[in-house]
Amino acid sequence: MKRSWYASPYALWMLLFAVVPLLFVCWYAFTTPDGAFTLANFQEFTKPRYMGVILRSLKLALYCTALCLLIGYPTAYFLAGRGFNHAQSLVVLILLPMWMNLLLRTYAMMTLLDDNGVLNAALTALGLGKVRVIGTEGAVLMGLVYNYLPFMVLPIYTVLKKMDYSVIEAAEDLGCNPLRVITRVVIPMSVPGIVSGVTMVFMPAVTSFAISTLLSNGKIRLAGDLIDYIFNQSSNPNRWNIGSSFSLIMLVLILLSIGFLRKVDPDNEGGGMW
Amino acid sequence: MVQDTRLIELKGVCKNFGDTQVLRDVDLYIRKCEFITLLGPSGCGKTTLLRIIGGFEMPSSGEVLFEGSDLTVIPPYKRRINTVFQKYALFNHLNVYDNIAFGLNLKTPEQLGVKTKAEKKKEIERRVKRMLRLVKMDGYEKRSTDALSGGQQQRIAIARALVNEPEVLLLDEPLGALDLKLRKEMQLELKAMQQQLGITFIYVTHDQEEALTMSDTIAVMNGGRIQQIGDPKRIYDEPKNAFVADFIGESNILSGTMLQDELVEFSGTEFQCVDEGFGTNAPVDVVIRPEDIMIVGEDVGMLTGTVQSVIFKGVHYEMMIKGESDGTLWKVHSTTMQPVGTRVGMTIVPYNIHIMRKATTADAVPVSDSGKEEA
Repeated sequence: MKRSWYASPYALWMLLFAVVPLLFVCWYAFTTPDGAFTLANFQEFTKPRYMGVILRSLKLALYCTALCLLIGYPTAYFLAGRGFNHAQSLVVLILLPMWMNLLLRTYAMMTLLDDNGVLNAALTALGLGKVRVIGTEGAVLMGLVYNYLPFMVLPIYTVLKKMDYSVIEAAEDLGCNPLRVITRVVIPMSVPGIVSGVTMVFMPAVTSFAISTLLSNGKIRLAGDLIDYIFNQSSNPNRWNIGSSFSLIMLVLILLSIGFLRKVDPDNEGGGMW
Repeated sequence: MVQDTRLIELKGVCKNFGDTQVLRDVDLYIRKCEFITLLGPSGCGKTTLLRIIGGFEMPSSGEVLFEGSDLTVIPPYKRRINTVFQKYALFNHLNVYDNIAFGLNLKTPEQLGVKTKAEKKKEIERRVKRMLRLVKMDGYEKRSTDALSGGQQQRIAIARALVNEPEVLLLDEPLGALDLKLRKEMQLELKAMQQQLGITFIYVTHDQEEALTMSDTIAVMNGGRIQQIGDPKRIYDEPKNAFVADFIGESNILSGTMLQDELVEFSGTEFQCVDEGFGTNAPVDVVIRPEDIMIVGEDVGMLTGTVQSVIFKGVHYEMMIKGESDGTLWKVHSTTMQPVGTRVGMTIVPYNIHIMRKATTADAVPVSDSGKEEA
């Protein structure tokens, strides 16, 4: 038996549960409920209430990615630093939330941020009064950052950890002050990790659902929620067709951004998973 | 070439890592335009000494002076010293040109002797091109550093350091990863570059042949101490103690007794020698290089022995000859081969017998090869 045959269970699995459903999605997206070819499903997308959701998804995903990078890079840099002996256990601590279910983590977030939750109890105790967090875009953003931060830290940490320390010494030797060592050598050399982290945060963030619904009491919908809504709750008779066309649009958006990131890191050195 | 001005001076430099003493009381001065090699086995402290000069380590105590003023207060990026790292440490996010231009790009136009940014760019290009020619890598500007062989990467690392026109170039076993032939070529090229540019080179290696080939001065190190400083010929011909004799080249090291000036006894035989001032009946170490033992007819030699083994080494044969007087095993290099079992005579001329005081104090360094020394 040829070696390639060992992959056949996986190939069969992918065929049944990825390729075939995708073909169904394509079929539905370009047809009416009667099975006639149409592009009308895609026109639905241009309606302001749908367009607004997509734009908000992109906006929040971008903010989330930027925040994760801002918080994650220094964290990874610190963890990968020489002479820091507790890095391994701290990395595990950062990984730990990833082992928990996403919904569970979001419910925990709700408890913390709720009008009568831990945050407001603490603020009240300090005599600062309550703040409304749940239901705002800020709450959704916090939920996204909280959930996806580890995906930013890990690839950057891996790249920085692998970096030969003598490269940093070489930069100092050639005239870099400590700040320039970071801007001229450390950051440019960790681009593969950044690309990988950005991909791994932006992709799930832009298509995320549930997080937004839960943390906004259903007031803020993102692209993922929208597709879920169209498929499951809408009364539109074309709901399967419209839902499919939206799914395809998201797919194309994601493929485009992967293509863009590939250009930044052509060798895929960051060991990205996407 | 070598000028008399002392460029770098180390006084009583010690370095500890935790409880380990890596450098003990090192005194050394390095002159302008000198090619000095720190030579010693791994763990002798030579790299640490280099890193202290480069600014990557601080001495635990002692002084490091550069042109008479304290060097330790100056961070590495402000020192007029550049380093060629052991593993090259090239920037793999930059191509060959940008790697070499890295240090120059950090400088202001004024520092490069020009006025505008455009002129700076031109000046950098001129200098980088010149360096590429010097290391024989012209035409490689646009290459990625990952696409270069070890030898080519090494040349780029050298160019990247030299382009900044440092006062001192530090080289940390830069040829260690290259094959023998390339290493020999690079040794000569490095020496030629050093003489052409008139820059002080401080070179770290464990390869004694490399040290002898290139250096103006060799500092032999062991156990965190400098064992001997001198020019290659002096180090080779007049090793100061058994460690140096053993580390530089091959030697027969024996215990002997200095009977009086110019007369030494070892292997149960008295020999004429040229050393004086050891007193009478003083215990000494005697070093004789394998190539200094001449094989003669069995009846006319000062010593007689039987050939135990013969190894062909290319230029010469290496024979182990067991002396008859006391069973000493002599290592002898000769271009003529004597078959195993032959009884031969051996002769040593007086000036090839090197006498050293027995190591008695703390700087006594036991030679690891067993059976060679009774320290």
